Amino acid sequence: MLRYTLQRLVAACFTMLVIIVVVFFVLHSMPGDILDLSPKLDPAIRQAMLSKYHLDEPLIVQFGYTMRDYLHLDFGYSLKVRPGVPVFDVILERLAITIQLNYFAAFFILPVGMIFGITMAIKKDSLYDVIASSVVILLISVPSFVLAAVMQYYLGFKLEWFPLVLATEHKLTWTKFYSMIMPILALSFGSIASIARTLRAELAEVLTMDFMLLAKAKGLTYGQTITGHALRNACVPLSATFLYLFLGVLSSSLVIEQIFGVPGLSKTMISAINGKDHWLTMGIVIFYVMIGLLMAILADLSYGVIDPRIRMGGKKDE
Amino acid sequence: MSREKILEVKDLTVSFNTYAGKVQAVRGNTFDLYKGEVLAIVGESGSGKSVTVKTLMGIAGNNAVIERGTAMYKGQDLTKNTEKDWEKIRGREIAMIFQDPLSSLNPIKKIGKQIAEIFTILHKMPKDEAKKRSLELMEAVGIPEPEKRYEQYPFNFSGGMRQRIVIAIALASNPTILICDEPTTALDVTIQAQVLHLIGDLQKNTGVSTIFITHDLGVVAHVADRIAVMYAGKIVEYGTAEDIFYNPQHPYTWSLMASMPDTDLSSEEELYSLQGTPPNMLHPPEGDAFAERNQWALKIDFEEDPPMFKVSDTHYASTWLLHPNAPKVDRPALLDRRIANSMKRKEARANG
Repeated sequence: MLRYTLQRLVAACFTMLVIIVVVFFVLHSMPGDILDLSPKLDPAIRQAMLSKYHLDEPLIVQFGYTMRDYLHLDFGYSLKVRPGVPVFDVILERLAITIQLNYFAAFFILPVGMIFGITMAIKKDSLYDVIASSVVILLISVPSFVLAAVMQYYLGFKLEWFPLVLATEHKLTWTKFYSMIMPILALSFGSIASIARTLRAELAEVLTMDFMLLAKAKGLTYGQTITGHALRNACVPLSATFLYLFLGVLSSSLVIEQIFGVPGLSKTMISAINGKDHWLTMGIVIFYVMIGLLMAILADLSYGVIDPRIRMGGKKDE
Repeated sequence: MSREKILEVKDLTVSFNTYAGKVQAVRGNTFDLYKGEVLAIVGESGSGKSVTVKTLMGIAGNNAVIERGTAMYKGQDLTKNTEKDWEKIRGREIAMIFQDPLSSLNPIKKIGKQIAEIFTILHKMPKDEAKKRSLELMEAVGIPEPEKRYEQYPFNFSGGMRQRIVIAIALASNPTILICDEPTTALDVTIQAQVLHLIGDLQKNTGVSTIFITHDLGVVAHVADRIAVMYAGKIVEYGTAEDIFYNPQHPYTWSLMASMPDTDLSSEEELYSLQGTPPNMLHPPEGDAFAERNQWALKIDFEEDPPMFKVSDTHYASTWLLHPNAPKVDRPALLDRRIANSMKRKEARANG
């Protein structure tokens, strides 16, 4: 188990390196001038800045400098979005609201998705199941930003139930949470639908298995056979799905944060890309990739926690 | 027969609603189970053996419909049971050993927990007592090192060991009736013998009334007190083990017995095999379902289903050949020779 985890961590580091290389060269091959600050800028100052940031040297040398700094955990400074502020601090500052949003979404997604999945599997082929399945397909197919816009128009603008954009308060107060409800919903619907669909399929299959018949024959009630035997078996594929879904939520928040004016990490990243603030972009990308890789490792390890057959690596100790 | 009847099944008729139509899986079965006996139900695949007993546990499936009949157990008609009633019967009163031990245990739950949950959930025992009882049970069904095995998962167990666990689970609540649904079919031959011995011993020790389902007459010979032979959803002959083995009356029983391999068979002789296939139970044939494959079939066999004819107090068979007006038909010579041989062997054993 330990060996496996280490293997995965080493592989993750390698993936990270590849991504850094690709992102670095893609960013620097973007058209335009990094220092397009002002046309009136004194050429001498401009030259001084170029050499300060090694921008006048070949790209490969610049890459060398960047990597050296990254090895010292120095992510550089933001040039334009937050001039002069260390990238690390920008991320920390903007992270809170993004994480809040995503965690609320995640904790909303899991129970709601599971409730729908379980009830649909138990009532398989009933009217409820047919209707719920249709809604699920609809929610999976419609992108979250469309839902966000629709909700903003009807729930926010027409009915005025929720504020159109996020409250500006820094602390998490009731008003702030209230204004977060729409973005959370927009982020959650797709994932709720995926979870419900996966769980319905898995649970419906588990329910037809022989060991469920034995559980019933033991004298357990229907509810007890579901909670005691079926659910955990159905959750084996779900555990991984959920962690990957969380990544999906993170990436759809790129758009959602724009729509609802959330001053989060994703919005900062888009400003950074548009403003060619490459170090900030790199910093945020590295952060996202790190979360993504950790989630992937966690997902693989979680299989083993739920299913002992995977934990043992298929070995029989007899 | 002054023994106490535990279960009285009368005219039990079960069919399945499918897209193709109504499949008549069980057609008017009548049998009794006496206290402490082993009743074997024999028949080929698809003859309705499993459906019959699954109906007695209320686990025949959602599309199974009990058309007619009663199954009286302790003054209660099981066929009228609701799911709530079944929850009080299953496991506690009637328990079942399933065919395939490889798939009948939950693959990701510890073996110990799968036994112990019966004590904690059904009998509301504290955890440590449930564990103690579970370990005793595991010991009783011959699991070595139960302490270690308790913490393991089904994939750590071989097929025979898993079946022992399934047996332990079935016996956990001291049921009145134990149903064994082809418990040895999925096991290899050496393990089959061990598991049969185990079931036999446990049956003798606990005196649990047992319904034993199998398609293997060799297995039946070891365990059964009485035998019911099923064909196409109907019991066609029943009697004590002696009745069936030494004096079979129904042509289907004859062919079952004749197709059993036997050490007396010389190498030139070909093993008997019954021609044809069982009827499609979507549209059961008129008259005797076996008529088409029956070389002794009479004209009436194709017109009317034979009633049960009494052979002796314990022995009944449903074939027109037993009708007083029927022509006298001799059993196949091969079978007569076989019966004579096995009777000789039995006498030899009896005389030491």
